[in-house]
Amino acid sequence: MSAGATAKILGARVRRVEDPRVLLGEARYVDDVPLRGVLSVAFLRSSYARARIASIDGSAARSMPGVTGVWTAEDLAGSLAPLRVEHAQAAGGGPFRTCEWPVLASGTVRFVGEAVAAVVADDRYLAEDAVERIDFDFDPLEAVADMEAALAPGAPLVHDEWGDNVFQRVAMSNGDVAGAFRGAAVVVAERFATGRHLALPIETRGCVASFERGSGELTFWSSTQMPHVLRSELSRALALPESRVRVIAPDVGGGFGLKAHVFPEEILVGWLALRLGRPVKWIEDRREHLAASMHAKHEIVRGELAAARDGTILAIRASILCDVGAYTEYPWPTFEPNVTAGAMTGPYRVPAFAYEATSIATNKASLGAYRGVGQPIGVLATERLIDLAAAKLGLDPADCRRRNMIRGDEHPYRTVLGTEIESGSHVECLDAALERIGYAGFRSEQAKAREAGRYVGIGIASYVEVTAPGSAVWQSMGPAVGGWESATVRLELDGNATVLLGVNSQGQGHATTFAQAAAETLGLRLADVRVVQGDTAITPRGWVAGGSRCAVACGGAVLSASGRLRDRLLAAASRLSELPTGALEIQGGIVRRAADGGEVVPVRELARAMALGRAGDDGPLEETARYEPPPLTHSNATHVVTVEVDVETGQVKCLRYVVAEDCGTMMNPLVVDGQIQGGVAQGIGAALYEELVYDENGQLLTGTLMDYLPPTSSDVPRVEIIHFETPSPYTLGGFKGMGEGGAIGPPGAIANAVADALAPFGARPTEIPLTPERVLALVDRARSMREGGE
Amino acid sequence: MEFQDRRTIRLRVNGRDVERDVEARRLLADFLREDLGLVATRLGCEHGVCGACTVLVDGASVRSCLLLAVQADGAEVGTLEGLAEGGTMHPLQQAFWDHHALQCGFCTSGFLMTACDLLASNPDPGEDEIRHGLSGNLCRCTGYANIVDAVAAAAKAMR
Repeated sequence: MSAGATAKILGARVRRVEDPRVLLGEARYVDDVPLRGVLSVAFLRSSYARARIASIDGSAARSMPGVTGVWTAEDLAGSLAPLRVEHAQAAGGGPFRTCEWPVLASGTVRFVGEAVAAVVADDRYLAEDAVERIDFDFDPLEAVADMEAALAPGAPLVHDEWGDNVFQRVAMSNGDVAGAFRGAAVVVAERFATGRHLALPIETRGCVASFERGSGELTFWSSTQMPHVLRSELSRALALPESRVRVIAPDVGGGFGLKAHVFPEEILVGWLALRLGRPVKWIEDRREHLAASMHAKHEIVRGELAAARDGTILAIRASILCDVGAYTEYPWPTFEPNVTAGAMTGPYRVPAFAYEATSIATNKASLGAYRGVGQPIGVLATERLIDLAAAKLGLDPADCRRRNMIRGDEHPYRTVLGTEIESGSHVECLDAALERIGYAGFRSEQAKAREAGRYVGIGIASYVEVTAPGSAVWQSMGPAVGGWESATVRLELDGNATVLLGVNSQGQGHATTFAQAAAETLGLRLADVRVVQGDTAITPRGWVAGGSRCAVACGGAVLSASGRLRDRLLAAASRLSELPTGALEIQGGIVRRAADGGEVVPVRELARAMALGRAGDDGPLEETARYEPPPLTHSNATHVVTVEVDVETGQVKCLRYVVAEDCGTMMNPLVVDGQIQGGVAQGIGAALYEELVYDENGQLLTGTLMDYLPPTSSDVPRVEIIHFETPSPYTLGGFKGMGEGGAIGPPGAIANAVADALAPFGARPTEIPLTPERVLALVDRARSMREGGE
Repeated sequence: MEFQDRRTIRLRVNGRDVERDVEARRLLADFLREDLGLVATRLGCEHGVCGACTVLVDGASVRSCLLLAVQADGAEVGTLEGLAEGGTMHPLQQAFWDHHALQCGFCTSGFLMTACDLLASNPDPGEDEIRHGLSGNLCRCTGYANIVDAVAAAAKAMR
């Protein structure tokens, strides 16, 4: 067989290697860690949004059989400091205000669900029994639950010492914005609002801590997206050397950003294990998760767009408010509205852009990361504004987008915000998506449907997904983290390879895709490469599986380490065979002559020869590489959806959903497709169903999955996916990140489709989720305005 | 203590007889996971919505977070651990692998058990019937399409 005939492994649509153990029931999540004598933690949580804690008495609870103890803030004083995010200066804005987030509420509670006391008992049943027996007395205070109300003078203060409720205000203006608006043929403006929602992984948060007094070592299992960061934070908070903290992320049941934080509960569980000398476990229940984990994407965007008569965008202006809740996420400040702003110029040539982004404190749970962070909201605003402008100018909305899109020959394109979009296929994705859905024929179908009393509509959202920030970009947004990743590739003596990653998977398929990258580079079979992840004791340092960065940053590290190891193998084979390295290649685990495919030496024999010092290579049989990606890497996509709106019930049904996307070189199209379908499902949830509703007193009204509604199999259509592959000219492998994109497009595309369906009423959707109640209100308002006008 | 009422229960779990003394308030899910070590039954909400804890009780899919262990006294209980025969995957497991019907895997056990019940009562379901049959299980990763395909493929393989 000629060497060239070997099928490529990297880029192949192969089944995932991690699946059989899950399917056979052998996966082990944090609640499955087999430890004996583990104590369970349950929390007493505040039922008030804002209150002074007058008293807490745990004595009755403490005396119950099976209860180890009850802890409150008083018991932690002097021993466990509150979490406090370091000051970080965001580009273009004032510093982010810091606040203390007590591990257990101290003196004051600031949101419904805030942990007030912790009980440790022999099992969870007894711990929850004991929570019921804690006596407490809270003096309720006036709460501020609405972000706009929180800005008003005299509003109750979430953090008394601030004097107002502003975490941060950032303002930027680039280009002649005022001039562009003055000279525009058309200006459109709208106020958009998003409902607070959350990532809702099916596995809740959870952790187990075990401390050995003899060695002084803490082992900490957590359902986390960033074991190495968590290790540093546990070390700092518990005053243990990092070398004596081992964090293990076992199988993780989904994260989507929510688990890319360090939580007060985790710090407390570590502290309890140290104090008690016994393993301690906390598995969050779903009510805690909904009330007190990390919420997301709660914003009001006032957007304006100025355009010329032919639809050319002249400028965009935005004022963005973001309801951050009581505390900022940890260990970095919440930068959600800044990301929203960054997404608003999208794939378009926008010569002038100004925004102001305000992060506001309220008496609600904290806002954190969730797939796409602020991007879906920025895309919703811009894509709605383009449709409004097109309608006003009498232009086709697709034509209006096409006219403004960055063309292939304009890359690398420097945006008005100064970032460089390295490559892309914006027009190609738009056209392909429109063709697939049958855009040209849709209007006649729509007209026929309307004659039959059915309201169908089509909506487009095009966007650029910002992925894999480099170190400097992360740090300019606030987080003191690196953008690089590292990986170790080790050759075993039987010719197998082990790949150790700094990042861990929450379902994204790392065990397959990074094995593909290493196997391809080393010339091994996929089955001969095993990926190890999620254990700080054995993996090289990494940062976080978030920001759509694993393929780019970790992929680059794996390619780099594998490439160095391959070069050493070829050099060793060259010494043994006396053939020049350039005449050799490795295919299927065998070093062959490149010219005719003739076998030179199997990798397993070569590995043994190297290990025994017989191949002139006395290094360890492994390579570790650290890969720093470009400042930003951009994927692009167009989503097109058709919907039917029932104007009697307010129900919106997605009929067809098409995604044409470009994430550069794909590592495994099966995994890419899965990420897109799953991301779109989450985006549909955000657009139509999911909302954490608080009343005016800050009481959470959607505290169970009976009230908070993620989409089910009846709600999510099969996404029709078209791929373009424009490799990044800058990343190793040409990869671009794509983990979040699926969730970025749906709010904009669906809002546009609903507007199109309801065009006969002149309804303008401005708020998501577009629940039946909101849709009916839209129709009613439009009808009454029309009647009033007649 | 009012909750410390204990009962002895006898049941068959994955084809094996089990006799245990349990607290009357103990959930079937906790009994399976903690007392029997059958941890493939996952807990996602503990209030009967997400379906991750779905098991078969006398062949019918039920939420083991809404049932007490004592209610399963005398019953035949099936969990994911009993689905494969030896090392050979059940057609549903095979189809889930072939169709990339799982990502994080946390909901997968529940989907497989629900699908077992679905296919037992309807060996040849159409797509709408599959979607309806699975609509009581939440998956946050896959967006469902591949799960629907996998169940259809398994149904075909099993006919």
